[in-house]
Formats: sequence, C-alpha cells, structure tokens
Amino acid sequence: LKVAAVLSSYSLSCRMCILPLSCRRDFYKILGVSKSASVRDIKKAYRKLALQLHPDRNPDDPKAQDKFADLGAAYEVLSDEEKRKQYDAYGEDGLKEGHHSSHNDIFSSFFGDFGFMFGGNRQQQDRNIPRGNDIILDLEVTLEEVYSGNFVEVVRNKPVAKEAPGKRKCNCRQEMRTTQLGPGRFQMTQETVCDECPNVKLVNEERTLEVEIEQGVRDEMEYPFIGEGEPHIDGEPGDLRFRIKVLKHPVFERRGDDLYTNVTISLVEALVGFEMDIIHLDGHKVHIVRDKITKPGARMWKKGEGLPNFDNINIRGSLIITFDVEFPQTQLDEQQKDGLRSLLKQGSVQKVYNGLQGY
Amino acid sequence: MELIRAVHGFVRSLLFLLLWSNCEGRESELNYVTCGSLVKLLNTRHNVRLHSHDVKYGSGSGQQSVTGVENADDANSYWQIRGKPNRPCQRGAAIKCGQAIRITHMKTGRNLHTHHFSSPLSNNQEVSAFGENGEGDDLDLWTVQCEGVHWERDEAVRFKHVGTDVFLSVTGEQYGHPIRGQREVHGMSSSNQHNWWRTMEGVFIQPSQELIRHDEL
Repeated sequence: LKVAAVLSSYSLSCRMCILPLSCRRDFYKILGVSKSASVRDIKKAYRKLALQLHPDRNPDDPKAQDKFADLGAAYEVLSDEEKRKQYDAYGEDGLKEGHHSSHNDIFSSFFGDFGFMFGGNRQQQDRNIPRGNDIILDLEVTLEEVYSGNFVEVVRNKPVAKEAPGKRKCNCRQEMRTTQLGPGRFQMTQETVCDECPNVKLVNEERTLEVEIEQGVRDEMEYPFIGEGEPHIDGEPGDLRFRIKVLKHPVFERRGDDLYTNVTISLVEALVGFEMDIIHLDGHKVHIVRDKITKPGARMWKKGEGLPNFDNINIRGSLIITFDVEFPQTQLDEQQKDGLRSLLKQGSVQKVYNGLQGY
Repeated sequence: MELIRAVHGFVRSLLFLLLWSNCEGRESELNYVTCGSLVKLLNTRHNVRLHSHDVKYGSGSGQQSVTGVENADDANSYWQIRGKPNRPCQRGAAIKCGQAIRITHMKTGRNLHTHHFSSPLSNNQEVSAFGENGEGDDLDLWTVQCEGVHWERDEAVRFKHVGTDVFLSVTGEQYGHPIRGQREVHGMSSSNQHNWWRTMEGVFIQPSQELIRHDEL
C-alpha cells in the first residue's frame, strides 16, 4: 500500500522523468479539467493555458519548455477520442507508439502559422517586408454560443510559396537610361529593370484551425490567425481574421451584459398571481413567482441571469423581464359585468391627461 | 434458398464493411462546401478565378465589375457563401444541390448579381457585384446545380441565376487597361463547358456540435 502511494504521488508530480519508459503524467491535471470534461472544455483549457505557458512569454522560467511540452502532449491525447480511451484505461504507458503531432502544429491550429505574437498583432519591425492580403471572415454566432462559449473548426486551404527550379524576375521597376546619340546630344529613355530571384511557385495546402467563441464575446470582436491569410511571393503571408457577428435571438435581446425578454400573461394571472419558468440559453430554468398584482409594462430584474462579462466571466449581467397582459378575447355578458363590478370594487376613474409629456 | 441466404449474408457484411470504413468517429463535412465558408471559385474551362474589385463598369449598369483573374493569391477573389435574405443558413451546414444561395464578395460586401444589361465585351448578360454590407435585392440569388445531394468541394458545379435563369460563365474575352488580362464574366442562357466552376482556396467552416441543453440539476 505504501509503495502504491509513493508511486502515485511520483506520477502526479512527474515532469522530468528519469526513466522515460515509466513517465506518467496526469494530463487532466495539466489541463486543469475534470475526468468527464467535454472536448470543448479541453480545447478551451488548452487555448487559455497555451497563451500563459508559451516559453516566449516566460523567458525567466527554466521549466517553461517542459511545461509547454506537457501541455501539448496532454491536449494531443485528451482531444483524440481513441487516445483518451487508451490513456484512461492504461495511463501514459498504454499509449501506442504512433506519430505524435508536433506541438507547433497544435499551437498554430489555435493561433496561426507564423509563430506567436503577443496580442495577435504583428511586431513593428516587419514594416519593410511586403505582406500578403488579410482575409476577414464574418463568423455568425448565436446568443447560446455567447452564453456558453463554443469552438468552430475550420479547414483552411491556402496557396503556399514553395521553391521551384530556375530563376524569376522580381522587384521590377522603371529606370531612366541616358544614351548618347552624338557629340552633345543625349536621349533619355525609360527602361524596365528587374532583379533575379529564386523561383517560387504556389502550392495549395490544407490544415484545420480551431476558432474559439469565448463566453461574453461582443459583436465585431476579431480573432486573428497570424500568417493564415494570402501569401506574398516576395514577403510574408497576411492574416486570417474571424470577425464575430452576433445573431438576433427570438427570445432574448442583448444589451451589453444584460438580457431583455418579454412575457405575456393572462388578465387573471396579472390579477391573482402566477408561477412560471423561463428556459435560459443553456437550458437551465429561471423560476418566477408572483403573488401580487402585475401591471402591464411591469419589469422584473433577475440578477446574475444575464450574459457573462467577456473580461471576467464570473461577473454576469441581469435578465430583465417585461410583462404585458393579454385581455380575454370574448366579450362579457351583463351578468359577468355585474360580477366584475362587485368583485373588483374599483370605482370609475376616467382621468384625462397628456400622456406624451409625462403628466 | 441457400443461395439467397448466402447472398443476403454477403451483402449485409459488405454494407457493414462499407459503413465501418466510412465511419470516422464524428461526422465530417470536410469535403462539402458549407454555409458561411469563404471560397475562391475557379472556372475550369478557362482557369481563372471569380474576382471583383472597386472598379465600375464603364457601360451597362455602371455597377461594380466582376471578372476572372489568373493569379491565385489575391484576396479580392474570396467570396462568402450565404443563405437567402431573411432565411439565413445554419453556419457549417453543407449546401445542398439545388439550394439557392447568395455569393458575397468578401472585400467589398457586395453580392454576385445579374440583370438585363449587356456585358461590355461579348454582349451576353452583365454580371456585377451589387448591394451594401451583404444586402442587395432579389437578383442576388443563384442556385447551385450539381450531381448528388450536397455541393462537394472538388466537384465542378454550375450556378444558375434565380430570376433570369442564366448560367455564370466565362468565354475568354479579355479586358484592356486598367484591368488588363482579366476575363469577362457574364451570364449565358445555355449550359455548356464554359459554366463549370469549382472551389479552390478558402476557409471552409465545419458544423459545430449542438450546444447541449441540460435540465436543471
């Protein structure tokens, strides 16, 4: 029992393993997810940690490379249905020797091809290098996705510049040439002059990209993938940017982090009270109980039932419910009218006023 | 009787084998053109890509021109596949053969459009890019004509205009300055070798898994 305890604690903290064959890492712990985490949870955890643990971001940490490598290995196994099953059953040792995708491939499917630039913006020193065109894709997202988050898989087929045999003309420009026609007579002509460069041809390549729809994302926000845009024969490729377009929803209206909705109740419910559930964007029910009279236009505020805030998903907006009343459709007979007069005991009001000026 | 049973058993195991070999764990739409995808369309007969830019026709409607270009690395050749107005298609859903779509130019937000104007070089029907921010009018709809159920990425398809019934085509006429070498793109009423198109480069959106709604715990 003691031996087993020692071995299990060793495997949980194993980062630099002395015996590579018995190296056992807890991939779930590395990603910070539970054993029952969905693929979406795993992708989300990877993306968040990859930004934090990238060695370029931690130049002072000597263990940064290893932590980052562990993260890549964890994602590679847990995001693949087959490999995850094997790992759950037999641990890291049980994984078959197969081709392992390089961590660079995994990282660039979340962030783009051209290495890692903080904040997704290019560094200033690239000013002089010509760049290919940027591509902007309008990505429609539903309010459900804004509430719970989601991942969109995308296949990018793009032309990539490859070396080809021979030379080509590049940097062509117009130059003025002066030729002497005779003593004291000169002629200036325009000539096209080119340099010689190694030949390049464009070959189409394909790869999968993962775009995260983060919780609380706002309209027009962009997710850039560096280097995934159009190529430039004499320079670097442009970027691919996904621009979020939040679609209108049939039940909820978004205002910032708050959600607005309307409920129609019957006249009886408005007078005697009611109880109901509103089904929220992720399926959970918001319970409403009313035992007083509800006027048409009355508003109810439900704190914490709005959208998560993009910068801090622990903060949520509110759900504001506005009630309107549906009056009975059939006309009332004299007996019912008398009954109502005596039941409600409300005298005649008939107040005339200017409602458009707030009187 | 025995023979029938044997054949039955053979067919069943064959079907099972086929089913198994096609099964890749989750449903993959990698080979289909899907709603929301950004694509470049190549005319297979003339090897040029559908293209537009901020250059207006000098004749006809005077709207933004649509041409065919030879180079493969221009972002102005990207078009987004979108559903009909007021009936958006679901992001990532494969486009069906026979479905009416809008083809929106990425850079300028104008829709592939045609109408009763003559094209400048060949006197066929002028094809233009029309609208603002992806919204134009009823003449922005095109039906995808293809074999099978869904529009496949490496399949040659035709685009038939809803409204005037012409096919999106290129017959090889070339423009001069300022768009030298670019081919005329027009609508023609006959279906022939000039109206085949296939997708090339692009960003193909895969369908997302349905967000699970759980009951209150």
